[in-house]
Amino acid sequence: MKTWRWIVILAPGLLGIGLALSFFLSFDLRHDHIVYLRADLGTLSLLIGLGLSGIAALVFAVLAWAERIRLRASITAAEERRRFLRRLDHELKNPLTAIRAGLANLAESPSGETRREALASVEAQALRLSRLSSDLRKLAELEVRLVEHSPVDVPTLLRDAFNLAHELPGAAERHLNLSIPQAPWPLPNVRGDTDLLLLAIHNLLENALKFSRPGDTLELRAFEDGLDIVIEVADTGPGIPDEEQPHVWEELYRGEAGRGVPGSGLGLALVHAIAERHKGRVGLRSRLGQGTVFTLRLPAG
Amino acid sequence: MTIKPSILLVDDETAITDNLVPFLGRSGFSVTVASNGEEALQKIADQPPDLLVLDVLMPRLDGREVLRQLRQAGNWTPIILLTQVGEASERAMALEEGADDYLNKPFDPHELVARIRTVLRRARPGKPPLSAAARLACGRLSLDRTSHRVWLEQAELSLTPKSVMLLEYMMTHPDELVTRERLLDVVWGWDYPVGTRAVDTRVAELRKALDDDPSQPCYIETIPGQGYRFVGAVEVTP
Repeated sequence: MKTWRWIVILAPGLLGIGLALSFFLSFDLRHDHIVYLRADLGTLSLLIGLGLSGIAALVFAVLAWAERIRLRASITAAEERRRFLRRLDHELKNPLTAIRAGLANLAESPSGETRREALASVEAQALRLSRLSSDLRKLAELEVRLVEHSPVDVPTLLRDAFNLAHELPGAAERHLNLSIPQAPWPLPNVRGDTDLLLLAIHNLLENALKFSRPGDTLELRAFEDGLDIVIEVADTGPGIPDEEQPHVWEELYRGEAGRGVPGSGLGLALVHAIAERHKGRVGLRSRLGQGTVFTLRLPAG
Repeated sequence: MTIKPSILLVDDETAITDNLVPFLGRSGFSVTVASNGEEALQKIADQPPDLLVLDVLMPRLDGREVLRQLRQAGNWTPIILLTQVGEASERAMALEEGADDYLNKPFDPHELVARIRTVLRRARPGKPPLSAAARLACGRLSLDRTSHRVWLEQAELSLTPKSVMLLEYMMTHPDELVTRERLLDVVWGWDYPVGTRAVDTRVAELRKALDDDPSQPCYIETIPGQGYRFVGAVEVTP
C-alpha cells in the first residue's frame, strides 16, 4: 500500500497516544481534581486517535477491495473479448478458405460439371457467412431491443416447438416425446415474447438433435417449480464432458463433439440471451454416456 | 423494344457495385453508380433516374440524409434503401421518411431485382408513395402510422406492436405478393427457422381483430405456399 495511506492511518493514532502520554505524565498529585481531568482527557484522546486510525484503515481496505474486483472484471472482459475474436476468426477462416478454393476451381476448370459444383459450393459458403452475420446481429440486437411482455400460453408454445422440431434434419431417426402436465392444474402462463421463446426452445431442440445419435430419445417437457416454469429438453445422447459444460452458452464455443457440426455456434448463446431478457435462467445437467438435460427457467405470471 | 428503366445505385463499397451493376444490367435495367450522397444528388439533378437504390451508411452524405433532402424538395423518385443495421428503429425510419422499400444487407441479388420491379410497378410518377403517407384507409379500416393506432369503423383496435407493423407493411404494399420471409424481416429484421410459423400466427391474430374471413378476404388474402397479399383498395386520408 502507498506510504501516504499509512501516514493517514497511523497519524491520528500516534497523535492520540502522544496526547494521552503528555496528559498522563504530567500528573500533579497536589491537585487531585486536575489528576482526574488529565486522566479523562488522556483516555479520550487515546480513544479518538485509535478510533480514527481504525476508520481510516477500514476505508482504505474497502477501496482496495473494490479496486481489485474492478480489475478482475476488466481482465475477464478483456479475456472474453480476445476469446470471442479468436473464435470469430476461426469461424470465418473455413468458409473463406472454401470460397477461395472454389474460385480457383472456377477460374481453371473447363468442364461444365466442375464449374457447377464449384459454384454451388461457393454459394453455400457465402450463405453460411450470411447466417453467421445475421446470428451475430440477432445477439447484439437482443441485448438492446424492447421485448414484448404479453401472456404466453406454455402448452401451445411447447406444442408449436415440438411440431417444428419434426421438420429438422435427423428428427425422423430419433424418438421425440412431448410431456405437458395436465393435473392437478394446467401450467400457468409466462410473460414475454412468444416468438423469442419459441426460438429459444427451438434452438434447444435443434441442439439436442444435432448432438444425439439416430435411435436416441429426445424429450421436451415442462413443470411448475415454485414461482417458476421450468422447460426442459432432455436427450439420451453422448453427454457433455464436465470441463466443457460451463462454456456451452458462450458465443461461438464449440466443444470437442462440435467440430465440423454445421451451425453458427450461436444457437445456445441466443437461448441464454433470450432467457436473460425474460428474467429467466438457463442450466444443464449431463452425464457422459447417458445424456443431457438443458433447462430454461422462466418466472410464471 | 421498350426503354430500359434507369437505376441509380448509390453505395461506397465498390466490391458491391462492381458485382451488382452487371447483374442488374442483365436483369434489364440501365444502371449508373454514385459512391456517396453528394454525388448521388448531383447525378439526380443532372439526369433523374426511374429509381434509386440507396445505401444508408456512406461517407460525406449518408443515405438517410439524401432521402430526407429529396423528399423535402418534393422529389418522389422511388427509393429502395439498403440498411445495414437491421434494427427496428432503422427499418421504421426507412418507411417513415418516405423510402418505398428497404432491404437488409447481406441480401440475395435476385431479391433486389424483385424489389425493384415491384416498386417500379407500384410507383405513381411524381406522386408520394403510400409509404410516405401518415394516414391510410381501406374500407372500414384506418391506420395512423405516426401514432401506430388502428380503427375499424369508429372503434379503436388493441393490437400488439408487431401486428401493427405487419398491417402497416401490408397496407403500404397493397396488391403485392408478400412472402412470409419478407414479413418476418419486416417485423423482426432477421429471419429465423421458426419464423414463418410466427408470421402465420400474427396474420391470424390480425384477421380476427379485423373480422376478416380468410376464405373471402376484404383485407388479407393467403396465397397458398407463397405468402400473403393485401387485397383491399388503399387510399391516403388527410
